[in-house]
Amino acid sequence: MTSKSSFLANVIENNKRRLWVWIVSALAFILAFPALTALTLNGIARGSKWVAESYGNTIAAEIIRERLVNRMCGMMGMNTGMLFLTSALALVSAIQGFSYLYSRKKIDFYMGMPVKRKKRFLVIWLNGILLYILPYLAGLAISMLVAAGNGAMDKTVWMSAAAAVLANSLLYLSVYHMAILAVMLTGNVVITGFAFLIFCLYEFLIRVVSEGYKEMFFRYFSYYGSDKAPVLSPFMMYINLSSKFSHTSHLSAKYLIGMLIFAAAVGVLVYICYLKRPAEAAGKAMTFEITKPFVKVLLVVPAALFMGGVIADILNFDPDLSMDGIGWMSFAMVLTVLIGSGLIQVIYEFDIKGSIHKKSHIVISAVFVALIFIAFRYDLFGYDNYIPNQNQIKSIAFVPEYYEEAYGGAYFDRNGSYMSGHEYARKNMYLHNVEEICDMAERSMKAFNQIDIYTADDTYDRGTWAYATVLYRLKSGREVCRRLWVNVEDEQTVQTLDHIIGSEEFKKGFFMGASDTLTAMLENKEGKYKISTSYGNRIYQQKMSDAQAKEFLAIYQKDLALANYSNIKENIPVGILNFAITEEINGSFYMGANGLVSRASRGWDVGMYIYPFYKDSIAYLKEHGYYMDVQVKLEDIAKIQVVNYNYDIASAMQKERLATAGASAIGMDDPATLLELGASGKLDTEIDARVYADYTGEEQIREISECIYPSDMVNDDWDNGKKLDTNYQVVVYFKTDSEMTKNFGTNAWYGFPEGQVPDFVREDTVYKE
Amino acid sequence: MIEIRNVTKSYDRIKAVDNVSVTIKENTVFGLIGTNGAGKSTVLRMLAGVLEPEQGEIAIDGLPVFDNMEAKKNIYFIADEPYFFANSNAVDMQKYLRSIYPDFAVEDFNNYLVNFGLDKKRKINTYSKGMKKQLALICGVCSNVKYLLCDETFDGLDPVMRQGIKSIFASEMERRGMTPVIASHNLRELEDICDHVGLLHKGGVLLSKDLEDMKCNIQKVQCVFKTIEDEAKVIAALDIMKNEKRGSLNVLTVRGSKAEILAIFATANTIFFEALPLSLEEIFISETEVVGYDIKKLILG
Repeated sequence: MTSKSSFLANVIENNKRRLWVWIVSALAFILAFPALTALTLNGIARGSKWVAESYGNTIAAEIIRERLVNRMCGMMGMNTGMLFLTSALALVSAIQGFSYLYSRKKIDFYMGMPVKRKKRFLVIWLNGILLYILPYLAGLAISMLVAAGNGAMDKTVWMSAAAAVLANSLLYLSVYHMAILAVMLTGNVVITGFAFLIFCLYEFLIRVVSEGYKEMFFRYFSYYGSDKAPVLSPFMMYINLSSKFSHTSHLSAKYLIGMLIFAAAVGVLVYICYLKRPAEAAGKAMTFEITKPFVKVLLVVPAALFMGGVIADILNFDPDLSMDGIGWMSFAMVLTVLIGSGLIQVIYEFDIKGSIHKKSHIVISAVFVALIFIAFRYDLFGYDNYIPNQNQIKSIAFVPEYYEEAYGGAYFDRNGSYMSGHEYARKNMYLHNVEEICDMAERSMKAFNQIDIYTADDTYDRGTWAYATVLYRLKSGREVCRRLWVNVEDEQTVQTLDHIIGSEEFKKGFFMGASDTLTAMLENKEGKYKISTSYGNRIYQQKMSDAQAKEFLAIYQKDLALANYSNIKENIPVGILNFAITEEINGSFYMGANGLVSRASRGWDVGMYIYPFYKDSIAYLKEHGYYMDVQVKLEDIAKIQVVNYNYDIASAMQKERLATAGASAIGMDDPATLLELGASGKLDTEIDARVYADYTGEEQIREISECIYPSDMVNDDWDNGKKLDTNYQVVVYFKTDSEMTKNFGTNAWYGFPEGQVPDFVREDTVYKE
Repeated sequence: MIEIRNVTKSYDRIKAVDNVSVTIKENTVFGLIGTNGAGKSTVLRMLAGVLEPEQGEIAIDGLPVFDNMEAKKNIYFIADEPYFFANSNAVDMQKYLRSIYPDFAVEDFNNYLVNFGLDKKRKINTYSKGMKKQLALICGVCSNVKYLLCDETFDGLDPVMRQGIKSIFASEMERRGMTPVIASHNLRELEDICDHVGLLHKGGVLLSKDLEDMKCNIQKVQCVFKTIEDEAKVIAALDIMKNEKRGSLNVLTVRGSKAEILAIFATANTIFFEALPLSLEEIFISETEVVGYDIKKLILG
């Protein structure tokens, strides 16, 4: 049994050899931390005079107090500075504490002494923690006293500081254990540094390589569900913890427990390595001989694949286009295997001649690199054809990309946390027509595999093919995510899409307006968000009261039940209900043009299209005076100007000029590309085929006004639905005494849906040389 | 008593110590002799519990030594390059050792420092190599442990200091039964200090014997025989290890007890007969020759 007094004596004696680390830690925490706090407080105090002059004494006091509290929360809470300082101290403390293991002289001295190995470990380990935590707590206490003396302490600061103590301590413990593990596995400080770096970056490297190759070779790879950020990284856990805390003011148990488990698991590993570490490992590159080949192969293989990926990136290698460049990729990978294996062997042996030793390791690494590359190249594991067995699927989330984004595409959960559309669907969309969706996926993939996405006209991102992110939730708990391309004009597919998009499950997970979240946010006046509702047609909009917005939402939800893929596609919306959601940023003020002081804020929009078949919604809008025609009223129009860009003619002329200039081989027929090249100065053949036509006659204006829509109200995103003719732009000039001029402005931009351009406009604006 | 039984230790698949078995009795000075790379340091490091043997057992007073505090309490290991804390002085070392060895003799420590002319306030990193070795020895002796393991500790000490250390060893052995184990590559260094010697070569033990026993079994005599017949008769009867003849003077190194040798010489007429003292080197030459080694190549160069 370890006697307490001898343990304490050992702790004290050990600390005598670690004085400089104590000094560094004390300088950082006990001197620099309070000093920075005082300087920050002083800076805010010095600015207070200007704030008082600018905002007036009453508001200034509030502004300054908020600034003080916010800055203190920033300083004493979790922050990047603490992340770096904590990690650096953990690394230094671990290496310094166990550095005796690098030296035979020291090992002979210490291990010759009658001190148990586990006791020595415990003493050094404990001191490594004390030399962080004691100065940190002392510095924090002094800083808090300084802050309190300046009226900068309140409950928020206390909570931030307490959360930070917990998070920083766990971060320290995790990084400290990682660094000790690096010491235990290596025999000198330089190699320990490398090992620590590898621990920090390895998972990231693996993820980058894996995701990069999936992206390169698989058509159905989805970015959602692919995360390059390491999971088993205390740094990432800390960043996530900090981010969650700043949004919710709560410490996420998930990340706290994650860090704790990480620290404990690595700590156990460290202790085992310490007990198993042979004394004769001092000064060698690696402590355990058996790890050498594994470490080498595990480093060289992803490094080679990574280099292959880098070369592919440089060469814009795309297997869908051609295999040009695969030779260079292979060369880069082989070279990395050779250099990497050689370099690591040189480090192992501390001898340059070592680079040619252990050729078997080079062969093994090369074989692994080749196997992995081939597995990706030829999709040996069937990633790109994989659709989970229907019997294994519990539910599905189907997220069409950029579909029905009525200006804003923000999502919030019931707690008021902002999230992406994918994450919202993951949490809220549970489609159970598994068989139908899987059949559609299979059919679509089969058809899409036949398409050369680079040569087929208009098939890549517009036209008849559109992609959705599909999340298969398996009964086992696993989630499989794929990007699925579907032919939105295919009859069978349309039928399935009608079922999907027409379903309540889809709407709950896709349309924010289908849930009660917005109603809850409207009711929660004390919440951190402020909501302002408006209805409009993108030209003109009116504010709606909160009470009416809630009433309208209930009606909208009923009407939304009528919507499906086909009727959304076939209709042009009559208007947009928009929720502007803002969050005030504490401590940040500005003086508005009206002389009023406001807090700076950040905002999001949640928009909802109102379709002509939403009868009850339209009736409510009309009843309460919000309804407005999507099309401009004839009586408001003074003049209409139509601009026809005549892209087809411009393109033909461009081609002709290029042919004359001998550049026909370029084969460019895309006006946008030509314009781009012209703008870049590469081609001096820019054709401006624009023709303007002004209309003031009542009949012409009437005819045009019946055909034009606000540009933002007509879009064919995802469903290949109604779209504006891109050749034409229509500028409507309102009468000076019209409602539009009063409420909106003198003119607005409109467009013609395809096929609805009046003949006389077409004739008037055709380009003639 | 220290018992080393069939101990083996390898570094990178090279056997540094191969199946070594040696017993070190208490209250004797044990010399561990061997060339560079013979495995002396490895044996001592295993004895000190620094290294763990791959095979075999090491017991200090019946207790296994590796990571065993009860056994290690009785040991102090002075490595070939002793370590002292950075920027420390003798007092710092004494304080540390006092926290580890409860019986550390502080008074003796201070006295020895004075006697050896070591300034206790001076930083150890300014000491000469010899001074560091002296300090390491003083630390070891004052730890009041039973077994003091010294690896090449006498290398670099001047004769006066060696004599001083010898007398300290003698008094500590007498006072509390200290048992020094001294490893050296230099046979002459151990000649006047050791009671028992173990010879290591290429990781194995060539021999391990009491010096007195070895001395009793080998005699060196010089004599002048009266007649050639007398000479032939005696030489035939003796187990001669070496015979140098300078004119009529024979210098013989022979195996056997003094009584046996005298009895053989009594059977012949000699004009002159004298028994000569044997050096450790001569004893080793003779002993290693028995097992087929040329000691000159091994130890003496």
